[in-house]
Amino acid sequence: MNARAWISLYGLLIRTSVRSRMQYKFNFVLSTLLAALIQISEFLMVAIVLYKFGAIKGWSLYEIGYLYAVMTLAKTLYRTFADEVHHLEKYLVNGELDGLLIRPLPVLLTLMPQSFRIMLGEVLQGGFVLYWALSGMMQSGQVGWTSVPLTLFIIFTGAIILFSIGLATATLGFWTTRISELQNITEDAARTAAQYPLTLYPKWMSGLLLTLIPVGLVNYLPSLYILRGEMGPWVLALTAGAAVLCLVLSLLFWRLGLTKYQSTGS
Amino acid sequence: MRIEAKHLNKQFKTPVVREGRFAGLRTLFARDYRVKEAVRDISFEVESGEFVGYIGPNGAGKSTTIKMLTGILHPTGGEVLLGGINPHRERRRAVKRLGVVFGQRSQLWWDLPVKDSFDILARMYRVEESVKRKRLDQFAELLNLQEFWQTPVRKLSLGQRMRADLAAAMLHDPDLLFLDEPTIGLDVNAKRGIRGFLKLLNEEFGKTILLTTHDMDDIEQLCRRVMVIGDGELSYDGTPQSLRDAIGLPTRFHVTYRGNCNIPDGTMYRSCSGSIAEGEAGNAGIKGNTTVTGTRSAVAPVAAPLVVTSRQGNMITVEANRQEMKTMDVLRMLAEWGEIEDVDMEEPDFEEVIHRVY
Repeated sequence: MNARAWISLYGLLIRTSVRSRMQYKFNFVLSTLLAALIQISEFLMVAIVLYKFGAIKGWSLYEIGYLYAVMTLAKTLYRTFADEVHHLEKYLVNGELDGLLIRPLPVLLTLMPQSFRIMLGEVLQGGFVLYWALSGMMQSGQVGWTSVPLTLFIIFTGAIILFSIGLATATLGFWTTRISELQNITEDAARTAAQYPLTLYPKWMSGLLLTLIPVGLVNYLPSLYILRGEMGPWVLALTAGAAVLCLVLSLLFWRLGLTKYQSTGS
Repeated sequence: MRIEAKHLNKQFKTPVVREGRFAGLRTLFARDYRVKEAVRDISFEVESGEFVGYIGPNGAGKSTTIKMLTGILHPTGGEVLLGGINPHRERRRAVKRLGVVFGQRSQLWWDLPVKDSFDILARMYRVEESVKRKRLDQFAELLNLQEFWQTPVRKLSLGQRMRADLAAAMLHDPDLLFLDEPTIGLDVNAKRGIRGFLKLLNEEFGKTILLTTHDMDDIEQLCRRVMVIGDGELSYDGTPQSLRDAIGLPTRFHVTYRGNCNIPDGTMYRSCSGSIAEGEAGNAGIKGNTTVTGTRSAVAPVAAPLVVTSRQGNMITVEANRQEMKTMDVLRMLAEWGEIEDVDMEEPDFEEVIHRVY
């Protein structure tokens, strides 16, 4: 099977997943609305923090909004197309992975689209903050129009990095079965931390967030160049290189993990 | 397609789960493991076109073996080859030619109509539209799929679901079929339907089939070869008939005499006077005697070829091992004890045969 056939099959599985969930229309609508509501309340929290404190350690309101928006959109992209990786635990505990392993397809290809959802709340909110931050900085002349394609680029590489972190964390579940606590740390906590400039944190922690759990590469590092012109364009190449490296490593780890799958009794 | 299993071993290493805060995280770094040997050194070969039953008690390692054969679980040691392909090294290539049915878990899309599952599977296995339609027509006829064609899978009865699952597993025309308890929980009719279909697949289309089951009728009606696994090890591999013979369960004769009968000494292991306890208690009570069914086995043959196990008035029950004594000889001997009114013969139940092996 070639890549095109895989992509079209992936599309089919997404449509299947949406159709499955549309069987329960009320639940589908309600959960979409609730997710959007939660997202808005989370945004209000950030807004209050920013409004109260204004600039943080030399980072303007717009810049912090930008960091936040890039992170949110990168996460949304990852979760839209590969949400089920985050929910691997369910498959390990119930042995549901059996059903994917007997198909002549990569397990990730059949796993990722399992519960596809359109994260409307996140897209709207992230898009709005990004628009607000970028237009604010454009008016002040801090950034030019080139920042728009560059931003889209780092949202894409950021999604790959977040996916790799998510996949590597989930893969640990092949050894431990339960992974939700670990996910709290490597995914949720790390991502929340990187919504603010890493200069806020002690050296060891920002170092950690740029290497072991490289969420800092999603927004902080590339925005140093895009927003402030620090370092040089090579930062973007570095980000992209790091994203590819993360992806390759996490996929290799995933393949190792699959050989440790224990399934369930009977 | 041939199945080869060479010295399969599977150990499950589960970390001892910690309690309390950060339990998951601490488990990750834990050093204490519980090792369970689910399968120990199992080797066998299944030739193309065979129909093999794989039986054993719960927890003996049946499902573990099937999951290793289908590439789901990686063995701790040993190797599997399916038509020469190792499903652990080349999973995608190997499973393309496999059909797998888990009786306990449907592989269909739960919330969608049955028909949609077939469409998706056809795409997954790249079955051409015209071929798909031809095969489905065939299956629909054999398995009566039309009656629930548009029904969501979650609303199917168990029997319907199993039929749909079987058709789904055969859609890409695999050479090799693995069935894990395909008749579990089905009524007699549904079982008959499934068995008929499997028989057809094996006899007419030459499919190699390996199934696990707890239903001995599946084995007797379908399999020409049976493998028994107990406690992770292969304890028997041969025909169902020779399995029965090897264990040597006795045939039971229920004899009613007209008038009185004289039972010679030595054939009774309990005095004729006094009632003989039945069921478990009776079995336990006579365990000390070497000629009792419960302790009988192939290695310790009975002393007498004929044993009277119970007597109620002029009705007696006699057990004889047909390996040692022909039916006519038994009847002749019984006729010497009195005038026979009626004889009822009972073949050893296969289920009981299996319990002996476990």
